[in-house]
Amino acid sequence: IWVQTRGCLLKEVHLNVTDLGLGYQTKEELIFRYCSGSCAEAETNYDKILNNLTHNKKLDKDTPSRTCCRPIAFDDDLSFLDDNVVYHTLKKHSARKCACV
Amino acid sequence: PAVARENNCLNAAKACNLNDTCKKYRSAYISPCTSRVSTAEACNKRKCHKALRQFFDKVPPKHSYGMLYCSCPLSDQTACSERRRQTIVPVCSYEEKQKPNCLELQASCKTNYICRSRLADFFVNCQPEPRSLSGCLKENYADCLLSYSGLIGTVMTPNYLRSPQISVSPYCDCSNSGNNKDECDKLTEFFTENTCLRNAIQAFGNGTDVGVWQPMSPV
Repeated sequence: IWVQTRGCLLKEVHLNVTDLGLGYQTKEELIFRYCSGSCAEAETNYDKILNNLTHNKKLDKDTPSRTCCRPIAFDDDLSFLDDNVVYHTLKKHSARKCACV
Repeated sequence: PAVARENNCLNAAKACNLNDTCKKYRSAYISPCTSRVSTAEACNKRKCHKALRQFFDKVPPKHSYGMLYCSCPLSDQTACSERRRQTIVPVCSYEEKQKPNCLELQASCKTNYICRSRLADFFVNCQPEPRSLSGCLKENYADCLLSYSGLIGTVMTPNYLRSPQISVSPYCDCSNSGNNKDECDKLTEFFTENTCLRNAIQAFGNGTDVGVWQPMSPV
């Protein structure tokens, strides 16, 4: 039986800089890379315990974060010229490497 | 049919940011060229120049020339041409508080081995020749474009002037030349009125630089 490999992967999408919603006015574009996918397979006893304790209401109102698919390294900086002829440089704006953390 | 004018310089910038190598080295020079280091200085010019040299060393010409030699319609003096002028971040890499004399600038270039050799290459490879179809003595536009881009990041860093036709110059003029006025004019004209360089830039911009040297229609 073929089991589809699932999990936390690096994906990319071609966007206009304006799509980022950061307030820049420019016609320049970029490749935005992000981390997405399930981290269920990477869960530890810690995560299972948290799951059980939350379910059994043993943690008062706390809901600690479980394993997340997040960037563990960021892409190179991105520079662009805006419509008022001013340069901007974005740092840590796009993922390079993903992991369940 | 009326076709909306494409902004070739904007298209080149888009293409650069979609290419990992070009994007990386572009932001690697824009950062130092736009970072204020003190109230007195807008940027660290030395770092800006070094990063600009790296950009032209490491990025394939398709992308680096695409931005530096992009073609703009004659009528355009803003969106396209201004973007082309901004390619090298002139406020840091080009402009100075005062314009030096061009011969003095050349003398200071000759004290630096990178600048000296790159300026010599430029004089050899972009030497105009009116009798040649290409307008160049050495009929090789690619060598001329390479030598010109090689000057970027030296004290002789040239840039486009705000002029209707393609005209470039380092940041200097020929005032206070004294007895050397003719020599100074000759030097500046090699940049500002160089048919070989102008044809080479236009051929790249028009996508006609494919190894067949045709004279470009006058601009």
